[in-house]
Parts: sequence; structure tokens; C-alpha cells
Amino acid sequence: MPGLLGYRGPAERLLREAEASVGDVLEVQTGGEKVTGTLVPRYEHDDDRHIVIKLKSGYNVGISVERVSKVVRLAEGEEPKFVAPKRATGGGLPRVSVLGTGGTIASRVDYRTGAVSPATTAEELYSLFPELADVASITPEIVMSVYSENLEPVHWGELAKKVAEAVAGGQAGVLITMGTDTMGYAAAALSFALKGVPIPVFIVGSQRSSDRPSSDAFLNLIGAASMAAGAGFSGVYVVMHADSSDERLAVHRGTRVRKDHTSARDAFESVGVEPVAFWSREGIAVNAREAPPPRGRAEGFEARPRFDPRAALVKFYPSMPAGYLEAVLGSGVRGVVFEGTGLGHINAKSVEAVARFVAAGGVVCMTSQCIWGRVDMNVYDTGRDLLKAGVVPLEDMLPETALAKLMWALANSPSAEEARRLMAEDLAGETTPRTVQRR
Amino acid sequence: MERASLPFDPEACQFRVGLEVHQQLAAGRKLFCPCPITKSDELPLAFERRLRPTQSELGQIDPAAVFEFNKGRVNLYRWNPESACLVEADEEPPHPPSTEAVETAMLMADVLGSRVVDEVHFMRKLVIDGSNTSGFQRTAIVGLGGSLRVGGAKVGVLTVTVEEDSARVLKEGAQAREYALDRLGVPLVEIALDHVAGVPEHVEAVALSLGRALRSTGRVARGQGTIRQDLNVSLLGGQVVEVKGVQKLGLVAKVVRYEATRQMGLVKIAEEVKKRGVEEVESRAADATDVLRGTASPVLRRIIQGGGVVTCVAFPRFAGLLGLEPFPGVRLGKELAEIARTNGLGGVIHSDEFAKQGLTEDEGVALRALAGSDSGAALVLVAGDASRVVTVAALVAERVKRAPLGVVGETRAATDEGETRYLRPRPGAARMYPETDIPEIVVTDAMKARVGGLLPVRWEEKVASYSREYSLSEEAALQLYDSGDSGLFEELVSRLRLEPSVVAAMLVEIPVRLSREGVDESRITPEALGATLAAVDSGRFAKEAAVDVLRAIGRGEARDVDEAVERLGLKGMGDEELEEAIAGVVSRNRELIAEKGDRAFSVLMGEVMKVARGKVDGKKVSSLLREAMKE
Repeated sequence: MPGLLGYRGPAERLLREAEASVGDVLEVQTGGEKVTGTLVPRYEHDDDRHIVIKLKSGYNVGISVERVSKVVRLAEGEEPKFVAPKRATGGGLPRVSVLGTGGTIASRVDYRTGAVSPATTAEELYSLFPELADVASITPEIVMSVYSENLEPVHWGELAKKVAEAVAGGQAGVLITMGTDTMGYAAAALSFALKGVPIPVFIVGSQRSSDRPSSDAFLNLIGAASMAAGAGFSGVYVVMHADSSDERLAVHRGTRVRKDHTSARDAFESVGVEPVAFWSREGIAVNAREAPPPRGRAEGFEARPRFDPRAALVKFYPSMPAGYLEAVLGSGVRGVVFEGTGLGHINAKSVEAVARFVAAGGVVCMTSQCIWGRVDMNVYDTGRDLLKAGVVPLEDMLPETALAKLMWALANSPSAEEARRLMAEDLAGETTPRTVQRR
Repeated sequence: MERASLPFDPEACQFRVGLEVHQQLAAGRKLFCPCPITKSDELPLAFERRLRPTQSELGQIDPAAVFEFNKGRVNLYRWNPESACLVEADEEPPHPPSTEAVETAMLMADVLGSRVVDEVHFMRKLVIDGSNTSGFQRTAIVGLGGSLRVGGAKVGVLTVTVEEDSARVLKEGAQAREYALDRLGVPLVEIALDHVAGVPEHVEAVALSLGRALRSTGRVARGQGTIRQDLNVSLLGGQVVEVKGVQKLGLVAKVVRYEATRQMGLVKIAEEVKKRGVEEVESRAADATDVLRGTASPVLRRIIQGGGVVTCVAFPRFAGLLGLEPFPGVRLGKELAEIARTNGLGGVIHSDEFAKQGLTEDEGVALRALAGSDSGAALVLVAGDASRVVTVAALVAERVKRAPLGVVGETRAATDEGETRYLRPRPGAARMYPETDIPEIVVTDAMKARVGGLLPVRWEEKVASYSREYSLSEEAALQLYDSGDSGLFEELVSRLRLEPSVVAAMLVEIPVRLSREGVDESRITPEALGATLAAVDSGRFAKEAAVDVLRAIGRGEARDVDEAVERLGLKGMGDEELEEAIAGVVSRNRELIAEKGDRAFSVLMGEVMKVARGKVDGKKVSSLLREAMKE
């Protein structure tokens, strides 16, 4: 690791004078005392008045630049050379494509400096997850390196194209590794772009990064890989821990899944439906009630990977000013999904702006911020007014799914009318006809 | 010093012991979340986890980490929301560290003359035995250097760190361990000392002094298990053995002695190995299940009939060395058995003990033929579940190969009997990396000044002042200090009329006595002690009854002193009632008094106490009785 990663200002000057680089062994003299150890990188957001030394014991300590009388460079740091342990390569097993997007589901720690780097080759993946070699023959590909919160519709489109290539190339299944923040949106988006996909596509991530011994990444990845190789069903799903234990994974339908916890392993939940399957080391238990479609033939499958990002998701709140909504509607968007209150409402003073937007060719849809249950805009006056203004009620569709669908529908419809029709139609299990008892 | 207690001269053999002391802090909350520090008797929630080693940049995995993973272990965690939250469950990132705990560590650093660092960085220290749900312990250096006074000498301080305590072990099985999360995350301060000459009593004295120095801050938790010592033991400049978890101070010397003997024994065995000209130890493993199917050995028969397998590992030119016992109880064979036990098997059987284990000579011959070995070889039978046997056989071979080294660097656990047993290989140096979820703490001058203002009186002075001001004997003053209740003592003495020596004696003796009886000492709180002594002071019951009152509270039979008094029927005796009782006894015994005079006193005293015991102070009874007898 070259240079003075993360050091600025006085700290950088001090180290530069000593001709020190990150990884070098230094003796830092402060008055009558000395500290000897390896110079480690500093985080971008930290101050510029301390240098950090990793002692022989492994501990890091920060030393104030003001106290330092002299820095002596004792030895040059050695560039770490990674030697992947030899592993079997999963030969003869079903082929599974692993598409990386930048989440740290597979990474190594450099204990020397604390840096974490991702695994990029099949060999590295096998060496990190030896069990992978027992379940599938893996072809990994880093498609992009983007934090989940920075993923955009164009990235969803790229992933859809990669999956289509994998289908054409005869892969038994596809894993997409991703940060979990916007995984629900991506799963919905791919469900529409890959409608009818004949193989299983599993989006996996981890709530505890894979540089920790307790990471959930290991089980999520192994379980999803073994299902990608052997499950009898097809479609787009999120695969994550079913509960806090490292025991069972839940397979959530891509259009009905939501991240409902900021940090827990079982953050992802199927809303309004049950998971389509559970995986454990004992095998796959498919939920017959949810009847996932069987695997199909590669011939005839075509992805529709285009998305139009000109759509907005607006959460209504008490006292929302009319000007706020008008600003959104006037920002160049072609469509809006509302997260309304209760059965699907926004305040009366906003109705007129909505009506004008629809009349001008905009698409406006209604979902509920209640998460559970279904909108019904015939019960109260405001609902009826909104229907009259041209708002499309989206039944029990999740707001995030509705946004992804709207972006897809806008890109794949010749007219606003057609886009509204697509929004109202169940294409990928995004709405259910019956509202079941909440668990 | 008692050099005689070691089978060798510690100085000539460079016998060294480095102490690491872990002291729980009396803090209002845990280190990385606001959970209260309390022991939960009920643990209604549970989850299961498997920990995996993570790979370093160099493609290497820590040997200790691989070891635990090879054991295929499942950890079951039980918890109660009253004492743990999602942070302990590793379902939420750590919150910013407790300022109180970090400042306490700084204070302890100050007490030891240790230099507080300019910036505190929390690290993740890999510990994948399951004792932490995350797979690492969060720990940070707060102070570097310093020294501890022990008698007239000084022992160097290496580091002062603040860290989280591990989960409490509930059950230890071969394939699964159970932990409670209530203790996980309790703030600890760890003091690592420079090594000292391994004279057992001296090491114990060092540990004692360090404990007292820490206690002087007034911020340490009280009760058993709140201070634990680890020992890094080595001799002749050989590999260091880390002995973890000596729970009682009084066991330190014993553990040092045990480990000294074990290590010197292994050195002597290594000398024997070298005498035979063995430089590189060879090994050959073969499946011996079929050969032993009809075996006379009851242990092996049971295992094979139960579907288990037996692997025979042969070590040429090792015959007699596994059973060789240079000191009582020190054998290479025992080391192998401990490795097997730690890995889920009952032990191993080696050729030096075939006859004792019921194997026939014919079986010995057959096994040697199988392993292609002559009678000069030692054989080790590893038997049990197939999934374990291969791993254990490999570990056994690995251990014997290192026999020429003598002492092998490893991590051992201290037992309650003062011995040590094998736990795991020593972790490599590369087991620490930064805890990125916790921003570093810049130690400001304001923080230093605040902590500086808390610097306590040195413990030696404190103890001397107790002897001086309260006329306590030096021993009583030390005992009071060590009890952890000296603060309570000062408070009680200032407001009660009881003699300081009486207060001191009660505070020292009652908790010890009840703890020996098995009473839950966490219930003998300072509040309960204070209330009990106040009740004695006001004459509600005699000081002899104090132990009964606290026992009732400790056993949960009474919530407080009032309930205990009620339950024990300790309604105090009024002066009038007492005088009446005395008068009655005196008048019934007129003849005896006339006959024996003062010598009748003890008989009469006994009679009065029959009705007054626990209700009135014995002293008061005796003086009143003496007066009554004079009349």
C-alpha cells in the first residue's frame, strides 16, 4: 500500500519529512519515550493531527503530532502478496454465475493495516468459502463496485443484461451479491426486467460484513449457491437469514420483500405473502402455497432491461404543503408513486395539483405507508376525489416495488395510458388478490 | 521465598511469568450499549451461531481461528432482554463506548504511572471460541508503560487496555457450547505486566498488589469472578504458554507451580527424545477399526459397537516416551488426551498403557503390523465419531512431532483445582484489526484534567490510615480493604455507634462465611450490609444475629432486613424484658450462686442466652447478669 493513505496537514508533513509510507515500521519519539510499530492508514474523516501506529502486540494507538520530536523509518513495509490456498474447483457441478455489485459479501482483511479488500476471482471465492466447491461450479464477475445506496436504475438494467447472458450461456442459476440497503428495490426492478426468467436468480447480501467471523454472508452465499445449482424453481428472489440463528434462510419473492430492520440478520421480510421457500443444510423446503414457477427453457426468454429514472416516490405527511408536491411534479418526472396514509390518501389541498399533472400526461399511483394491507380509495371522499383525478390505486403493492415498476413501465410503454394499464396489472406477483391474515 | 516449592531453580531456568489481570468495573452500563450490568437467572430467548475464520490479506488464517472452525462448533446463546440487547446479539453495531469506562481505564493508567495515549483506537481481537457473538473482542489500549510497587520492588506495566467481557459459559459440550449474554459487554480493564521471575508466591504477591492498586480507584466491581488473571509462562527462553482465567487470587501460586512442573517435565521428555537421536518425528496413520472389532478393551469395544472408528497413529522410535513421567502427572500421553478431549473425544489410548486399557498382546502385534511398525514405535489409538477422529488424529500427530521442542506454545485454561488444561493453539500475532464501527477517541487535556482530579490515595496509605484512625490491626485493615467494602465501612463508622473493629469484622467475615455456605453473594449488597449493621446499632437485634439476617436475604427468603427480622422471629428484647429474664434465672439458681460464686456465671449466662440469643447483644447480657448476681 503506497503513500500516506488518509493523512493530511501536519500529520502528512511530519511523515513526509521522515519519508515514511503506510506499512513502514517506524520509531516515533516523543520527548523521552519511543513507540515502535507499523504505520497504518488513517480514515478520511479523522483529524490531521495524529498518526496511527500498530504496535507489535497488534494494537493501534494514535500519537499527537504536537508531541512528536522525531520519526525514524526503521524498515520499509512489504507489499502483501496474496496466495490463494489451493482448492478443488467445483468441476462437474452445475454452473452458477456470481455477479458482484460492490457489497463486501466476500472480502479479506489485511491485518497489517486493517484494510478490507474484495475477493474477485473464483479461486479467491473458493478459498474464502470452501463449501462452494461442493455445491456449484462458480463463475464470478465483478459487474460494478457501487454501494447499495448509490445503485441506480441504470445499474439494475446492466444486471438484467448480465443475467440474460447467463441464461443464454446455460448457467443453472445466478447469484447477485449486493449491499442490503436498496436490495428490495433492486429485487423488484429485476423481477420486472427479467419476467419469465427460466432459472433462479438470487440476490444475496449480508447484514454483518464478511470480514467478521460472525458474518451472515457465509450461510447466505452457500445456501443461495446451492439453490441456484439445484432448486427446481425459477424467478427473482432475495435470500437472507430467516431469523437470528445461522440455520435457515428465507427465499423472498422479489416483488414482495422489504428490509424491515436496520441491522438484524433477518431484516428482510415477505410482506402479505409467505417466503416461497426455506433453505437449511438439510435441504430446500418449498412453500406449496406460494407455488414458485418451475425452471423453464432458455429459448425464447428475453430481458426487458430498460428503466426510466424519471419517477418519484412521495411519502405524504400531515401538513405537506401544496408547494412541495408541485415542486416534485414540476421537476421533470413522468410519474409519481404516493405513499399515502391509511387506505391511500393525501390531503385535499394537493388533489388539484395531482389532477393537473395527470391531465398533462403524468402517471400517478397510490400505495399505503401502512405497509400491511391494501389501498381502497372508494371508502372516503378524498380517495374518490383522487380516483377522479386519475390516480391509479395499486392494491397491496409495496411502495418501493411500485417505484421500481413505474420506472420500468415508463421505459417500456409507448404511452402514459399503457403505463397506467401496466401499473394496474399484476406482472410478477407484485400484488395479491386476497389479503391474508398478517402473521 | 519458597524456592523449594519448585522442582528446579527458577532463576537458573529463566522461569518467567507475565501477569495479565482483567478487572470488571463497577459501571452503570455496558461498554458498547446502555444495557445494565446484571446477572439474569432466566434466559428465555436463544439463537444459534457458527463462527468462521476470516482470511487475512496474505491468504493466511489465524491458526487458533482455524482450529475452532475445524471443530465444527455450534454456539447456542441464551439471553434476557433485561440484561442484553441486539448489540450483544451481534444484530446491531456497537454504540459509542461508555465514557465512564474509558475514563476509569485512564484513571487506572494514572494510578500505575502509565502514559495515557493521545488517541484511543478500538481493535477487534479475533476470539472464535464463541465467547463473543461477533467472533472478536473489542479492546483498546488506553495507557502504555508505568510500574507497580510490590513490597520494595517495582514491576513494569506494559499496557492498560479497556475491553468488553466475554459471554458467560453455561454448558461446554464437544460440538456445542452454550453461553449467556448477560456478562457480554461488561467493561473490563486489562493490565498487562512485564514478566517476573516465576517464584510462585512472588507472582501471587504481584497479582495481589495489582488488585489492590486497582481497587484504590473505587471503581471496581465486587464479588468473586470480577477479577481474573491470565499468566504467560515460559522457561529456558522457550515458547510461551498462555494460561487463562485464574479466578481466585489464592490459586495463582498453585497454578504457577503446576505449570512450572509441567513445562520442565516436557523439557525432560524432549531431552529423552533427543537422546534417541530423533530429530524429525515421523508418523503413520492407519484405520484400525477392523483390527479391533473383537477387542477386549471395554472402551474401544463400546465405541466400535456404537458405530465409531479407530485410527492408529504410529511414531517410530517413540516406544516408552508417551508414558514417561519425569514428574508425577506429567506425561506426553496426558497432553494428547487433553487435545482429544478438547476436540470432542474421550481421550486417546497409547501403547505404553495398552495392557492397562485391556488390549491384549496379540492386538498390540496386529496393530503394529497394520501400522508397519516395529516394537520401537509408540502407537496412539484415536477412537470415536468418524467426523472427529480424523481431525484429532492429525492434531495428535502434529503435537508429537513437536515433542523435541519441549514446551509448545499454546493456550491453556486454569482449573478450579489450580491445574491447567489444554484449550487451543496460541493465536498468531495477526489477529487484530481495527473496529471500524467505533470512531477513535481523541484524549483531550480536559479529559486528562478531569481524570487527574480523581486520583485516589494509594492503597498502602489507605490501609495504614485504617489501622491508625480506627485502631484496627494491620491484618484487619488489609482484610477490610480487600473485601471491597472499605467505602461502606467509612460511611457506617461515621454514622453508627458500633465499634469500628466490630463493623470491620462484620463486613469482612459475614460475606465470606455466607459465600462458603453457597449463598448468592450478589444479593449481599452494600445496601443490605449497611441496613443490617444499622439495625444492630439501634439494638433491634444482636450482632450475632446479623449473619442470620443476611443469610435470609441472600437466600431470597427475605427481601430486606424488616422481612428477615419478621421471618426469624428476631423481635428485639426490651431492657425490662431482659432484666426480668435475668432476675428469673438468678432467683432460680440462688443455691448454685451461693455454692460456686462467680464460677456459676457461665451456667447462668447460658440460661439467659437461651431466651436472649440474637435479640440482645451478649456483652450487655453479661454485664447485667454480673450485676444481678452481685445483688
